[in-house]
Amino acid sequence: MNDDSLTVNARVLPLGSVPDDERLLDTLRWRLGLKGTKEGCRTGDCGACTVLVDGHSTLSCLALTRELAGSAIATIDAAESDPDVAAVRTAFARAGALQCGYCTPGFVMALAGLRKELGRRAGPPELLAGLQGNLCRCTGYASIARAVTLLAELDP
Amino acid sequence: MSATIRPDLDVKLRGAADFGVDVELPGMLWGALVRAPVASGRVRVLDLGPARALAGVVAVGPADLAELLPDRAESTSEPILPREEIAYHGQPLALVAAPTLEEARRAAARVRLEVQPAPPRIDIEDEFPQWPHGAATRSPSIVAHVLARHGDLERALASADRVVEETYRTAGIHQVALEAHACVACVDEGIWRVRTSTQSPFGVREDLAARFGLPERAVVVEGTWVGGGFGGKGAALLEPYALLLARAAGRPVRLALSYREEFELGRSTLPAVVRLATGVKDGRIVGRRVRLLLDGGSSLPGRDFAVGYSIGFLLGPYRTPAFEVEGYGIRTHKPPFGPHRAPFAPQCAFALESHLEEVARSIGADPIAFRSAHVWREGDTTPLGQPVGPFGLATALEGAGALARRWRATTGPGEGVGVGVGFWSTSTRAGGEVRLELAPERLVIVQGEREIGSGSVLRGLAVVGARALDLPLERVRVDYESTATAPFDSGVYGSRTVGALGRAIVDAAAGLRLTLAERLACSGPVELGVDDGEIVAVAGGTRRAIRALLRPEEAARGIVAVGRHYGHASEIDETRVVDGSFYPYTDFTGAAHVAHVAVDRETGAVRVVRYAAFHDAGVVVDSAMARAQIEGGIAMGLGTALTEEAIWSEDGRLVNPRLLDYRIPTMAEVPVPEIELIEGFAGAGPFGAKGLGEPPIVPVPAAVAAAVRDATGAHVTELPLTAERVARALKLL
Amino acid sequence: MPSFELLAPSGVDEALAALRSAGAAGASVLAGGTDLLIDLDEGRTTSARVVSLRRLPWRTLDWTDGALTVGSTLPLRALEQDPEVRRTLPGLAQAVAAVGSVALRHRATLGGNLGRAAPASDLIPMLLALDAEVEIVGAAGARRVPVEGFVHASRRTALGPAELIRSVRIPGPRPSAYRWQRVRPSHDISQLAVAVAWVPTARRWRVSVGGIPPRSVRLPEVETALGDGRPSDAALARAEEFARRAVAIVADRRASEEYRRHLVGTLLRRAIDPVRDAPGGPG
Repeated sequence: MNDDSLTVNARVLPLGSVPDDERLLDTLRWRLGLKGTKEGCRTGDCGACTVLVDGHSTLSCLALTRELAGSAIATIDAAESDPDVAAVRTAFARAGALQCGYCTPGFVMALAGLRKELGRRAGPPELLAGLQGNLCRCTGYASIARAVTLLAELDP
Repeated sequence: MSATIRPDLDVKLRGAADFGVDVELPGMLWGALVRAPVASGRVRVLDLGPARALAGVVAVGPADLAELLPDRAESTSEPILPREEIAYHGQPLALVAAPTLEEARRAAARVRLEVQPAPPRIDIEDEFPQWPHGAATRSPSIVAHVLARHGDLERALASADRVVEETYRTAGIHQVALEAHACVACVDEGIWRVRTSTQSPFGVREDLAARFGLPERAVVVEGTWVGGGFGGKGAALLEPYALLLARAAGRPVRLALSYREEFELGRSTLPAVVRLATGVKDGRIVGRRVRLLLDGGSSLPGRDFAVGYSIGFLLGPYRTPAFEVEGYGIRTHKPPFGPHRAPFAPQCAFALESHLEEVARSIGADPIAFRSAHVWREGDTTPLGQPVGPFGLATALEGAGALARRWRATTGPGEGVGVGVGFWSTSTRAGGEVRLELAPERLVIVQGEREIGSGSVLRGLAVVGARALDLPLERVRVDYESTATAPFDSGVYGSRTVGALGRAIVDAAAGLRLTLAERLACSGPVELGVDDGEIVAVAGGTRRAIRALLRPEEAARGIVAVGRHYGHASEIDETRVVDGSFYPYTDFTGAAHVAHVAVDRETGAVRVVRYAAFHDAGVVVDSAMARAQIEGGIAMGLGTALTEEAIWSEDGRLVNPRLLDYRIPTMAEVPVPEIELIEGFAGAGPFGAKGLGEPPIVPVPAAVAAAVRDATGAHVTELPLTAERVARALKLL
Repeated sequence: MPSFELLAPSGVDEALAALRSAGAAGASVLAGGTDLLIDLDEGRTTSARVVSLRRLPWRTLDWTDGALTVGSTLPLRALEQDPEVRRTLPGLAQAVAAVGSVALRHRATLGGNLGRAAPASDLIPMLLALDAEVEIVGAAGARRVPVEGFVHASRRTALGPAELIRSVRIPGPRPSAYRWQRVRPSHDISQLAVAVAWVPTARRWRVSVGGIPPRSVRLPEVETALGDGRPSDAALARAEEFARRAVAIVADRRASEEYRRHLVGTLLRRAIDPVRDAPGGPG
């Protein structure tokens, strides 16, 4: 990997053919066919497009792909190998923490990023405070809050 | 059994569910809309030439419709693309498709468009300054008028101890499903096919066929996963445009709205003004006059449903001996009024409940006891003469009242507790059909709806099927088929899915049992069981595996049984209707909510500390699913109550078409509510179930307003209850 | 064809040259992109060239002789989570935490926020109260401009066409607090905000107001009224009165004039309270 490529779910993407103005969201969804990351508002207000860039939650609608040369991108599409994402998915499944599922990839990646950042012992209040940038219109956040509680109780 | 098993959890957690926005077909073009730059006026020049000059661009304007749709009858109904008159800002005037979205947008910008602007009509009170006085006239501004009466209202009010008269105002709100509208269309060998995110594939088919002049079998609608509907995806929106582009291009065309376009083109609840006058005598309501002024947007006359539907909610589930209700729908330069979740009912409940509290206080009565004394019970008659069916609202109100008293005893300074009541009638009258396929190892329920999120399709129907045939839930699967092969259904809206399709499943199950009895040559009741991984039918002393009962032609799908449900409603007493259309109630459900708020006495900011909901649930089909709907509806209602407000400028543009300043609640603003499901008052659904998709939003603004009043004494008569409005009501400014 | 050319110069000189040579088509500076990319989408900016700062060595946070220097391209989240910042400049940590969401703050930067100079920026009023200075680099070398003189109005600053913000310098630790009011508390643009700091070395107060167009402003009358120590109730009341009168309040879609005027006093008092009682405060 050099300065003119990045990785997406550990696979190298050379950036030579990526236009200067292409957003990471569009590279993922349309160039790479990884539709798991969702397009919401496209103005950074809803969190649906959240991915991890070098482990940090990032709004892919507001990132130019070429700006991320040298970075490792992780998306919902192929995250079995990431223990934090796997833990979040387990907690969400147990809590039934979704309805239409559109905001779910963004929530999962945002929460996984928080877990990496704050540590696996981070408690629900810290984690919940970090999720205010992710909107959900279906669940009323109740089942998501239950998932966060379950997550904090999971063996690290 | 995990109460939260849903078959779609895994696919959604992996990001593998394809929504409308995700559909991609080889050779697909990207569509874009040419939109009106003003809210009102006439199109003078629409020249698609400069767009068509760009490589790979296809463009469609009103002049092309005759050629693209040769069988379409000229009609005065809503034009697919307006020829001259602009109805609202951003209205699609022409369509463009190109190999990339960027190119399509560039081509759309190249279209030569000249308009002659006209002053837009935006404010309904400006449009009808004599309101609430003034009679219905044949004004182009009046798109609907309803009037109903019963009893001698004048005498009742004249004899009242007290008459309380108030005015309430409510804002326009958006559904804000996180997935914008999107579809991919292609026209091939006479079949007009569209894959779309919709709550109603058959509704879309019907609309397309009618508007395009096509037989329904020539239109195929295939639903995708839906990223939230809430009423906004209940009717065709982009599909006609995408199909026209696909027809013109000879290739598939994808058309999706940007989120800004979601706001600007969305059809939803619009602003309203409500005037209520209630007379009381000896502690009892003797009569009410209701005047409703509702913004219909650019709804066409006769196509508006909102006024006649909602006016009943302003009389509410309360015994009202004499009344007069009059509603006007006013045409403005906004998109047409469209259905939101429990369309306009939360706004009505806010007005009515706040008004009843004021009435109660004016005679020194306890607001909850006052409502309890009037709330319907089974056997009462609605204002338009329908008998009230089994109805648990009185029980819900009792529970809410008791909890509110307990919570109030714990409140600190600046805190308050309030109760709000909401009534709803689900749309179970709208019909639907299902096909059951009993195979050796499972029962498959084949139907025509995609799961839009609540679980009502993938889980609710499965639970009904399992229960109807006494099979383990793991043996039941719900399958989706497009309009080409699925049994008809009206759509996933109106809280009707489990109700109507569930009844259809019960109907089909009865047919299936008869068929099995025949195959077993037995007249007794047939039971189903599972032996060694296979389903068996048992009757009398006979026990046979389904596999052994199949006929050769049933090898692929199993034994098939079709079921249908077309509900009915009791009749409205038309002698009470003076003008316009009213809608009968199909069933009766409701809820009483309790809100505990803390109000910042200096800024007016309202924080919801605790929340509880008591719901008349009929029979609970699935507890987790029911609770999830209530949790979600409450959050949506809190947005309506506190922060959501569509704002238009004087020239008819939406000022806040962005999620940053059209504010829906985040996790920080919504507490996890306590929920009590009340059973025992049977509904129209299977086994007595009642729909729960919409009722949870209805009481929320009313409960919050009551709590704010309890906390501060401030009587806010406008939605949303922003901090600034509360501060004004507290006379801080 | 992309709508702009993206350059990622590896050093300051190259970056400045890229700005200078952009010509009539103009160049935009890309830090975190959380404002610029929306401006590009909505056609508010039509630059043919975007100059990315990602390769410049400005993602730094330095304490030297008690002063804090924040590199202009340091992600806000790093600033928010720094333990020393939280301990010694609590108002700054509060202001940073108020910006957008966690994911947004992983990209958004101090330099970008200052350059955008949004009237409702959460950072600018706090930087004013901290007597921050902006370090600018251009063809003529480096210069320092106090934040107060740097921000003119929305999208208008003291930056010349071929200049960049390199860092922001905060002279020293200050007990400080940031209080705001929004329509939606958790994630919104502020209707009004007040930033307060106590300058221990000079025994002076700093007060500024944000959220009102065209820009955040310091309130010297209010600062004087608060005195050189722990203000009495009377001094506080005088300060609130000055605040209500001194601020040029306008209405916009977020708030009316009357509401903003009403909020000024309340938020001022709520920002002063924690600073008054803070360790290292006026005592």
